[in-house]
Amino acid sequence: MRGNAGRENAFSRLHPAVLMTFFLSELLLTVFLPHPVLQAEALVGGLLFCLLLWGGEFLRELGFYLPLFVLVALTNPLFSHNGVTPLFFLNGNPVTWEALLYGIFLAVSVTGVLFWCKAYSRVMTSDKFLYLFGKVAPRLSLVLSVALRFLPAYLAQSKRVERAQKGVGLYAGESFTDRIKNRLRVFVAMVSWSTENAMEVSASMKGRGYGKKGRTNFSLFKFTSADGVFLALILSLTALTLCGAAAGMKNFAFYPRVSRVELSPVSFAACLSFGLQSLLPALWEGKERILWKYYVSKI
Amino acid sequence: MEILRVENLSFRYPGAPREALRKIDLAVGAGEFILLCGPSGCGKTTLLRLLKKELSPVGEKSGEIFFEGMEQKTLSEPGDIGFVRQDPESQIVTDKVWHELAFGLENMGLPQGVIRRRVGETASFFGLQGLFRQRTDTLSGGQKQLLNLASVLVMQPKLLLLDEPTGQLDPIAASEFLSTLQKLNRELGLTVLLAEHCLEEVFPMADRVLVLEDGALLAEGEPREIGPALSEIRRDHPMLRALPSAVRIQLSLGGEGVCPLTVREGRDFLERNFPDAREEEDKEKDEGKPTPSEDGEVAAEMKNVFFRYERDGEDVLRGLSLSVKSGEILCLLGGNGAGKSTALNLFAGLERAYRGKVLVGGKPVSSYRGGSLYRGNLALLPQNPQTVFVASTVRGDLAEMLQTMNFTKEEEKKRLEEISRSMGIDRLLDRHPYDLSGGEMQKCALAKALLSEPKLLLLDEPTKGLDAFAKEELRALLVSLKEKGMTAVLVTHDAAFAAEVADRCAFLFDGEILSVDSPRNFFSENSFYTTAANRMARGILRRAVTCEQVISGCRRAVEKRGKSERFSDNGGFAPQETEEREASKAYGGEGGSE
Amino acid sequence: MKFKGKRGAEGGAFRKKFFWKKDFLLLFGLILVLAVLIHGTEIQSVEEYYLLHLDDVTPESETVTLSITCQTVFEHEKVLDPALREGDLLPSDGVILPPTEYVLREGDTVFDILSRAVRHEKIQMEFQGADKSPFGSVYIQGIHWLYEFSCGPLSGWMYRVDGEFPQCGCSRYSLHDGQCVEWIYTCELGKDIGAEWMGGQR
Repeated sequence: MRGNAGRENAFSRLHPAVLMTFFLSELLLTVFLPHPVLQAEALVGGLLFCLLLWGGEFLRELGFYLPLFVLVALTNPLFSHNGVTPLFFLNGNPVTWEALLYGIFLAVSVTGVLFWCKAYSRVMTSDKFLYLFGKVAPRLSLVLSVALRFLPAYLAQSKRVERAQKGVGLYAGESFTDRIKNRLRVFVAMVSWSTENAMEVSASMKGRGYGKKGRTNFSLFKFTSADGVFLALILSLTALTLCGAAAGMKNFAFYPRVSRVELSPVSFAACLSFGLQSLLPALWEGKERILWKYYVSKI
Repeated sequence: MEILRVENLSFRYPGAPREALRKIDLAVGAGEFILLCGPSGCGKTTLLRLLKKELSPVGEKSGEIFFEGMEQKTLSEPGDIGFVRQDPESQIVTDKVWHELAFGLENMGLPQGVIRRRVGETASFFGLQGLFRQRTDTLSGGQKQLLNLASVLVMQPKLLLLDEPTGQLDPIAASEFLSTLQKLNRELGLTVLLAEHCLEEVFPMADRVLVLEDGALLAEGEPREIGPALSEIRRDHPMLRALPSAVRIQLSLGGEGVCPLTVREGRDFLERNFPDAREEEDKEKDEGKPTPSEDGEVAAEMKNVFFRYERDGEDVLRGLSLSVKSGEILCLLGGNGAGKSTALNLFAGLERAYRGKVLVGGKPVSSYRGGSLYRGNLALLPQNPQTVFVASTVRGDLAEMLQTMNFTKEEEKKRLEEISRSMGIDRLLDRHPYDLSGGEMQKCALAKALLSEPKLLLLDEPTKGLDAFAKEELRALLVSLKEKGMTAVLVTHDAAFAAEVADRCAFLFDGEILSVDSPRNFFSENSFYTTAANRMARGILRRAVTCEQVISGCRRAVEKRGKSERFSDNGGFAPQETEEREASKAYGGEGGSE
Repeated sequence: MKFKGKRGAEGGAFRKKFFWKKDFLLLFGLILVLAVLIHGTEIQSVEEYYLLHLDDVTPESETVTLSITCQTVFEHEKVLDPALREGDLLPSDGVILPPTEYVLREGDTVFDILSRAVRHEKIQMEFQGADKSPFGSVYIQGIHWLYEFSCGPLSGWMYRVDGEFPQCGCSRYSLHDGQCVEWIYTCELGKDIGAEWMGGQR
């Protein structure tokens, strides 16, 4: 998972505001529009994007997602017995085709959302989040950045202290009480380390002029024309999907009988637009890779 | 042009009986590279902090500080004076490298475009492009310190103050840091005021050296003048020990003439004046410290050990075999990432080998149960002695250690007194561990480790951040512990220290031991990885590895010359052994005038 | 080495995370298997389940009359689950089962009669077993795909025996010869079908 973490992908290079809009739209639509076609589109889009992000490593991760999918799909018919087509009866309760379909639908929806969340955590790194946050509350974003610096330092130091105590033989046993005492001692020591560290850091901040009026916020992000195009695309696709939803796509039911997928122009357009939206990251990524190959071939 | 002037500056910390600084007068010209040295606690840090308004300590201050002709009170641009401290870790404020670089500029309120340009420019100058988007906690110590320097310089300071910036770095990173500093001074004309205690490399770089002692200016001048000036004050002044090997050797053999600073100059000096210096091999061997016999008792041993940190990672140790003889001091040397600290951790049971045997006292490490390995068997002192302390006073820490050992109250008290007396830490007992200097902290940590009465002491980089005086103290401590039967394994980068203290040195490379030998054989057969003294003298005294050995070798030559001269010319001067110094002075003078 | 060590630690964290995920999966699977085991695994095919032959009504046999109706739904069509509005799902007159006579076996409860009847008539029915209900009685969740809350938040199934709404669960009410059991769907917690008491158990 970390193997190619250093390499930034093309999609990640978009402006954080665009990325945030995309993920918010994608996740919210997936969660609030329980329509099988839309869910399937979200799943396929998320799967493709994750595959492009992680490559082979993600295939190994599927070892987790596939069983999860099957489990979720099977759990529902065991506990829900509604539906007009009984397959067989379990302890006097019907196990129905509709419940099984609903289970699969749930599984599609859950894994789809998980894929997108995974992609989100990879793409929306802390600095992007902080940048967006910083627009709203600059001071808070600095505090967060400092905290994000402090946390790993704290953990590393507390591990070092723990090992040092063991090394000189204080509470070095494997017994439960020794372990608890060790943890406690390390924690107490870390309190004074934290104070010390905070003083040093604040000296470093003061030394570099923190506290003067008129502080600005720097970021690496620039809003380019590509960002504009992308943002416009996302917003219009989202609007189309929402139109479709308003026109009755929401009323897709599994119980007692699975509704038929409507083929009205509006819902068709909605399915198409959401499908396109879900595939956007993968398409973008793919486009950039092909371009890259092309450019490389010219070198 | 003068950039900084200090007039009659005195300073006293609140509640302190003595002044930390006394009547300091100082003028710094623009573009100068000034080295500030002196033993720990001499007031280097206080002086540097006082020079930067934002970091001035609280206390009684008298005297004036002018920066570019303006009184310090009236200064308003914090970016004009940059400050870099010793600990690379705690100076980093934010989580990303680019943000760290931009932090100072954000504070100055500069617009995006300007920050973007300056950050980019600085990152490329310091070679940080590759790390630009990385998290700061993934950097190595050397990279962190370079980032600290860069994020100060991005504000385009006119004066740079550095407080022992290489103290926590390994030699290669330290070297890189110092050469960057030199480049900044030479190519950008940046004024540098640097406090350091490890002078071997930085001494020749400086335009001017200031020596502080007890808060007062003891000596001041060009690097070549400092050695003679100090020995003028006192022939065995403790600061002399901190000077580069070339200076020390020249001062001992003959104080006149141009003082050599670098290895090359030192070698010229030796070869011109003592071409006839010869070591008497057999005698030298006898002089060497008594090494435990090959078939001596084994205190700890590794047999064909393999280790890696993660299952599909790379081997850190591959087939390492090493045996530590009872009662010896063994130094493990090697570059970064060679696996030195890992080997110590394996001995201490903090890591487990996946293949091979690790034995302590004849038993596998894994067979010690319930912490018995750390009771009367071994103790490991980590690289950063700060991590050893968990209480708010040194006494508290030692007492807690004793409480876990089931002694009676009187016994506890007795042992506490005993250890603090033998380690010389009586007056430190009631201080907070974090307030101690590096050397003091190391001694207290050692005291804590010794309370469990280990037979084997494992020390990871014990000389890191120590000044020459503290190193000497540590050396004496280790030797006296050895005399009481202690076995010690030291991991160190400090070749000079290893040459002085070790019975045997082992060179670790690529996860295995390449050579194990007595320090004299070990260093005299290395050509890169050896002491400065050896590099200087290898043309004439191949087997001399410490300054003392070089000096005695040369003196022997003088003696011989004296005898033959006496033989041929009865009227010639005859250097007496009791007046060695006089004699060598004469020869040194001759060498200088040639 | 420091760097390697750090990467090692990170790798460890990653592995831990992955293991945690697998553990989670395993736990999930285990719970599922356990649930199935506790429930029992009596599997019947559709044909086996639907009783094609019931005890014939003879002059000697004790009988009860059972009916299932849901007229109230049509008074609250606005809140009816859209999925149930499709033409043929609910009978247009609201009668799912007209009053029919069933043979009463020794110790039969309302629930026994109902479950036998729906199996015979191939009417879908879902219930919550007595072990899961806080009242210690079987709770009927839905009949003929009409579930509780299918028609507004106050909707659900209630039963009436000889014109009265008993205050106990349907698997606790033992029947006698000649009694008349009606299962009625309510949309107003019983108000619309004449149940006096509010709330509680149906």
